Formats: sequence, C-alpha cells, structure tokens
Amino acid sequence: MNFTITRKNLHQGLAAVSASIPTKTTLPVLSNILLEATDGQVRISGTDLDVGVRTRTPAEVGQEGVLTAPGKKLQEIARELPDEPVQVTSQGDQIELRCGRSRFKLNGLPADDFPNLPEVSFEEGWNAPGQVLLSLVQHTAFAVSTEESRPILNGVLWELKDGQMRMVATNGHRLAKMTVPAGSSAQGGAELIVPPAALQQVQRLFEKENEVHVGRDANHLGFRSGNTEVYTRLIEGTYPNYEQVIPKDNDKWAVVDRESFASAVRRMAVVASDQTHRIRIGFHQGAMRLTVLTPDLGEGEDEIEIQYEGEPLEIGFNAAYLLEVLRYMDTEEVKMGFKAPERAATIEPVRPDGEEGGVEYLCLVMPLRLLD
Amino acid sequence: MFFVQVARLEDPEGVGRTPLLMVGGSPSGRGVITSASYEVRAYGVRSGMPTAQALRLCPEATVVPVPRGACAERSRAVRSVLEELAPVVQAASIDEFYLDLSGMERLLRGESLEETAHRIRRRVLEGTRISVSIGGSTRKMVAKLAAGEAKPAGVHIVPPGGEAAFMRRFRLAQIPGVGPAFLSALEAKGLSTVEDILPVKLTWLERWFGSTRGRWLYHRVRGEDPSPVSPGEDRKSVSSERTFPRDLVDRAEMERALLDLSASVGRGLRKRGLRARTVTLKARTTRFRNRTVSRTLPEPVESDTALFQVARELLASVLEGRRPGYRLLGVSASNLVEAEEGAQLALFQEEAVESERDRILSRAADRLRTRFGEGALRPGRMVEPNPRGREEDTDGA
Repeated sequence: MNFTITRKNLHQGLAAVSASIPTKTTLPVLSNILLEATDGQVRISGTDLDVGVRTRTPAEVGQEGVLTAPGKKLQEIARELPDEPVQVTSQGDQIELRCGRSRFKLNGLPADDFPNLPEVSFEEGWNAPGQVLLSLVQHTAFAVSTEESRPILNGVLWELKDGQMRMVATNGHRLAKMTVPAGSSAQGGAELIVPPAALQQVQRLFEKENEVHVGRDANHLGFRSGNTEVYTRLIEGTYPNYEQVIPKDNDKWAVVDRESFASAVRRMAVVASDQTHRIRIGFHQGAMRLTVLTPDLGEGEDEIEIQYEGEPLEIGFNAAYLLEVLRYMDTEEVKMGFKAPERAATIEPVRPDGEEGGVEYLCLVMPLRLLD
Repeated sequence: MFFVQVARLEDPEGVGRTPLLMVGGSPSGRGVITSASYEVRAYGVRSGMPTAQALRLCPEATVVPVPRGACAERSRAVRSVLEELAPVVQAASIDEFYLDLSGMERLLRGESLEETAHRIRRRVLEGTRISVSIGGSTRKMVAKLAAGEAKPAGVHIVPPGGEAAFMRRFRLAQIPGVGPAFLSALEAKGLSTVEDILPVKLTWLERWFGSTRGRWLYHRVRGEDPSPVSPGEDRKSVSSERTFPRDLVDRAEMERALLDLSASVGRGLRKRGLRARTVTLKARTTRFRNRTVSRTLPEPVESDTALFQVARELLASVLEGRRPGYRLLGVSASNLVEAEEGAQLALFQEEAVESERDRILSRAADRLRTRFGEGALRPGRMVEPNPRGREEDTDGA
C-alpha cells in the first residue's frame, strides 16, 4: 500500500474515526484503525464492535492495499505534522509516514484481524434532513437510562409510522418524546432501539445542512452523510409501552418562565439531598413556591410568578431531572401539566400558534413521594 | 467476654461453674469461637478460631452455642443502665458502647473521671450482672484502645493531653480501622508500630498511602480522632452471611441459601426503615478465595423478593464459567436511604425491580413473623424436597 494525502485530509479523516475507538479494550486490534487505499481514495474505519465509523477521503493512491495502525497515535502525529503532503507506505505490518523531513514508523496489525463493519444496505433505507435528525437526537437522547439492569432503556426508540418520525428515551423516571413530520422520505414503518453512542457520533460528525441516508439490516443500522458513515448494532427487545404512561387526563396547568424556573430549581438543589435531590414545589394561583428540607443539612425556599389557575398542588421532584428537561426546552415559557402529586407531570415548550411546524415535544417527570 | 458471661448467667449451675468455657459454633461443622473465657485464652485460643482447632489447643474446655436471644437482652439491659448515667450513648456493637459525658462537668464535680468510670462499672454490674471494662479519653479511638488496656474487668483512663503518649505503646495492627490490606502496605514500608510512624512526615504518608489514608493515619497515631459519639450511628450496610457445614456445589441449593440470606437482610432493612440501592454478594470458595460482586439499582429496594432477585443474578455471574464449591455465602445491602425519604415513583411499574406489591408482601410477612414466630412463614422454595421423592411443587413464595 502506498498513497499520498494532504495533511488536512489525513487529519480530518483520522479525527472523524478516532472517537469511535474504545479507550480500553481487551481486543488490541480495536485500538487500531483500518486504512484501505483504493482508486483515488482512502477509507478509514474504526469500531468498538458496537458502533463503527467509516470515512472516505481523497488521496493519490500509488499502490492499493489495506493495513491497520494505532488510531490515536496516527491522529496525534497527523495533528503535529507540517502542512505538506504526507506519504503513507506499508512495509509488512508496519506503516511509514513521511512528511517534509519528518518520518515515522508505527507497528500495525494484519488487516484480517480487523472486524468487518456491518453490511447495511442504504438502497432500501430512508432519508432524513440533518437538521431534523440532529434535533430529534438532541432533545431525547439525554433521557436514556445508564443502568445496566434494563438494557432496553439504554437505547433511544426511533419510530417511523403514519408519516411521522419520533424518538423516545426514558430511564423509567423521566421520559422525553419528540415527533416530527417525516415527509415522503420514510416509506413503511420502522421501530428501532438505537444505542445513544451511535447517535452521539451522528451528532458529532454530520452537518445540519446535509441530508442523512439511513439503511438497516436485521440487527444493524447505518447512517451516511457526505463521505462519512456511522454503523451501530440495534438493541434487541420490545420497548415498554410509553404511550400508556403519558397522562391523558392531566387537568391542572401551569405556564412558567423557563429561565427563572430553572434558576430557582438550581438554587433549591444546592440544599437538596445528594442522593434523592428532593425538592418540593407548591403550585398556587399566580405563584410557584419551591422549598427544600434536608435533614442534617438545612432548608431553603423560593418563589416565582407563574400562571396557574387550578387547585393548590404540592408535588415532590428530583431537582436534577427537572433541570435536565428544562435545559432542552428551547422556548421562553414552558407548560406543566398535572393530575395528582403522585402522577406523572408533563413539561412542554410553549410556542406561539402556527410556529410548531408539526413538531411535538413532550417530557414526563415522575414525582418523588412526599410524606406529609 | 460478654458472650461467656451471658452463657454463664444463663446456666449458673452448669457452665456457670466451668472455668474452661468457650462460646461458639459446633466443632463437627465449621463453627468458630465467638468468645472464650480468660482461662481458655491462656491456651492460645482466640475469637474467630475454628472450634475444632480451639479444642485441640484446650481439649478439656466446654463449648456452648452462642445464647443469641439472651445476649441481645443483656445488651439492651446494659444500654439502659448506661443511658441513665450519660446523656449520649452510642452502641458500637452488641458488647461495646461509647458514652459522651460532655455537659456533665457540674454534676460530676468533685469526682475524677477515674472515679466516674468505676461508678459506672459498679452500676452496670449491679443492674445487669455483667462485668464491663471501661476506657476513658477525650477521643473515641483512644477510649476504645484504653478499654482494651482496662481488661479484664477494670478501668483505664488516658488523661487529657496524654493521648499521644498513650498511643506510643501500640502496634499499627491494633489501631481500629487499619485492616489487613492497609497493614501489608504499611509493612512493605517497614512500618509496624506507632513509634515507627511518628517520625514520618505527613507528605510522605500521603505520597505512600494516598492523601486520605495518609492523613487519617497521621492523625490517628497521634491520638487524634474527630468523630463524635452519636447515638444513632448511621448504618452503612445491612448484611447476612453463612458458613455452611459442607461446601455447596448445587446451584438450587445455593439459591435456597441466598433466599434465606436475602430474607434476613430484608428484615433487617425493614426493621430499621431503610432501603438499599446496592446489593452485594460475597461467595467464599472451597479454597478460601472471596468473590464479591455487587449491583447498584435504579431505585432503592427493601423487599425479600427484590433482594433475592438481584442476589440470584449476581450468583449467576459468579458461577459463570467457574467450578462451583462454596463454603460461605453472604448478602449485603448498602447505599442506604430512609425508606420513606423521597421515594422516586416509577413510570413503568412492570419494569421496576421492586413493585409496591413486593413491599406490601414483605411487610405483611414481617407482621406475621412478629406475631407467630420466625418459622411461621417460609417461602415454598425453602421447604426441603420430599425425601421419598414424590414430586411436589416447591417453587414460589
């Protein structure tokens, strides 16, 4: 193998892939990236076996070939090289880089040891505008569970049906759901449970302005945009029936200024228990009263103006969950809905009529039980 | 000695008259000595020693089982006497208490700390017939070590300002909180006594043993211990473990043992109004290797069902790819929260590790056991399979 590439292209390609390389691995070849020089381009791939990234970059290929080499080291070298063409040559399992007067030799491993990225067909997939896909990911992926006890909740549910595209994530205590019109791009239905690590790569690598092609096989999903592809295994199983837990009969509504609500919750959180993050919120006509009482620590209280008409209501919350949800609401005001202190509360953005654009965003937060 | 004293009080005509007395498990199985009389200790017998070995050292000794109920009762009696005499009493274990006498200076005017200690010793003896040893100091750790110096049946007071000098007599292994791992790290640096450590600068201790441990040790060897005497010492964990008369190799048998241990931990939690987020399984192999695995749950649990469920999964992970053969199993619950403190409600009831039903069931079982005795209710799984081999459904709760 032998090719010449600009330093910039080499570095960009390596940077795109190296984030998919696991930091700790029992399989040494996974610390490496796969370089494949073919007709006028170099393909660079990296994977941790769950998520894989592949990118193509133009190069002057003298002799075609494949090789694996230590990903992070290559990237660090490419970053430090002068801005001149880089000549890359393989010598057995070693890779040699020459750039100006610099020369490096790194030990690689046989390319046969490198795992194959899934063969996902993009022909039968669908397209999504980058902006839409990235917005769905950004507004939901934060809510996935990080506990190992319920693997299914470690993924984001991605649904395509009835001309709509939807992502849902939950850890069983709070839930985020966003629905957008899918347009004509998505034919047929799909229900996929996607590891958030793959969606993070999508967020990191793809541009809002570009269309993203999505392809799948039975167990894998692939994203392609521009010269870059992200592959992931899908999480198997049935996602819990989230529709069932979304309250339909909430009858108490509060409209709250998002920023002043969030800062009041942050203040209360300082004195909340490190374990439960429990704060108490009282909804009264025109006012929200926040209190916190933590044995052995102390107490705090605060009040902000809100629009609220219903009967007074006292409800306990994990402050961390509230703050997280509020961070992803991108409107000045949010609307909260309740039925009773021990039922799920809804939080949604308040947009002026006609500005929704068919986008629905809803978060649920399950309260903490209050004793007295 | 507490256990020996209680055993004697329980049977004054029998073991009450035996000087060579040991309290502990049976020598035929894997029992260990809980406590031995001073006469037996002269033969080299120590607590924690296998009973069979202890009997080889002192064949004439009598071994009696630990009178558990009586011990708990006597311990409560000692505590209530102590509570009459001191404003703050902390039970450190069944036979160890800390008293904080601060604030009693005016009441105790004219009485030295030594005289006070002797008076407390007399009162406990009169009220409970238990003879205690008392150590006194301005610091908890020093008082504990002083109590050791006071044995048998005496008083040892370390005068204020004399803490550092008092500490000089100890080996590092004697300092409460210095465990085997720390000890071998210390020995690797050639440090085995308090005297060895005193000339070492704090920065070196921090560099060698980490900043927390280094600093901790630096202060302890100088008799400095900031911890207060607190009556409701926070519990860090509730656990239960058992050494089996013979090694367990059968999975079903191990699971039965786990069910029993989980139930005992569950009862311990509920009795104290606690829930646990972390469940730990300890398994000691035939070759004395300890395997410890734990899992932290999304929500704290308290029911036998949930604890057992997690313990069983942990056991499966321990057994995976390993040859079975375990002499000891233990279940421990930690990361504790008050049961009612801000319980997080779940969106998906069926997904929860523990349902409201599990909790109600466990609490109902507790009430039945309190009323009709420990054996009143047992999980079907715990019933031994029919020896005549008739098939019976022994599964379920």
